[in-house]
Amino acid sequence: MNFSALFWALQVLVGLGLIISATAAIRFKNLISAVIAMAVFSLILSLEFYILQAPDVAIAEAGVGACLTTAMYLLAIKNTTDEEVIE
Amino acid sequence: MRKALGLFAFLGFTLFLLAATMSLRPFGAPPHTEMDHYFITHAQEQASANNVVTSIVFDYRGFDTLGEATVLFTAVAGVLMVLRRKEVSS
Amino acid sequence: MTTTIIKTTTRILASLILVFGAYIILHGHLTPGGGFQGGAVFASGLALLIVACEDEIVKKRFEKVPLSPLESIGALGFLGTALLGLMGYTFFKNVIANSGFIFGGKTPIGINPGYLNTGGTLAYMNIFVGMKVLAGLTSIVLIFFLLLGGKKDEW
Repeated sequence: MNFSALFWALQVLVGLGLIISATAAIRFKNLISAVIAMAVFSLILSLEFYILQAPDVAIAEAGVGACLTTAMYLLAIKNTTDEEVIE
Repeated sequence: MRKALGLFAFLGFTLFLLAATMSLRPFGAPPHTEMDHYFITHAQEQASANNVVTSIVFDYRGFDTLGEATVLFTAVAGVLMVLRRKEVSS
Repeated sequence: MTTTIIKTTTRILASLILVFGAYIILHGHLTPGGGFQGGAVFASGLALLIVACEDEIVKKRFEKVPLSPLESIGALGFLGTALLGLMGYTFFKNVIANSGFIFGGKTPIGINPGYLNTGGTLAYMNIFVGMKVLAGLTSIVLIFFLLLGGKKDEW
């Protein structure tokens, strides 16, 4: 397998993972599961940045998006009630 | 009516994105401009650093970084001012 | 949040994350990354230390850490390093490069592995911006955690 075929296979896999994790982050009713799905989305997005040869943006995305935002969302959800109210 | 409007907007946006993707240049071959060439050839001797991205962010385009630092400072100051209580001091 | 698994993982992993963040900040002018990225990685290590411990331990641990002074020192140091260029040149001029001061060594031109003692004002700006970013993000996470006020853990 040469480099070009591997590149396109990685691109398709990363795009599918992005769509699946974003849909999961919207569809989950449990808020903590939604936050974890968004962390997975951020991690896959940083992998996409690394594949497109932008390691600076990849490091920033992995640090801020996958770790710090998740910690802030989890602490903010824990400050409130942790289930969505359905009327 | 709303569903038809949503479908129309979805189809139009998808067609626009597809057309934009078709007209992209191939990967690793951006359009050649004078500025890129100048930065890549002169950054190492003018800014004295091996990382060209850092020499652009902190030297050639320093005012951009100054504004970004101001934005972050304002955000942190706002959060600390809204959420600070008497016994919580950081 | 404070089970035995998370505590043991944190004890091993936090020091490695902090060392990697400091490496990214210090080598900002040689390798990918810079002040903002290294500060974000360092702050994520500190956030791990905050989230994985109990309330009293966090209060005792972060009581002596001067987060607000670090933020102010970072912003003022960045502006001061930029103002240093006004000595005969323009704002943001790299005056320390090739002058023999710290981080002001002679820069080899061409393909080279990169030496730490080069870069001029870029290295100083990386350190100041990193200090500022890590203090700001850590103080946001810390104040979110301290707002809980020692509530009981359910998950």
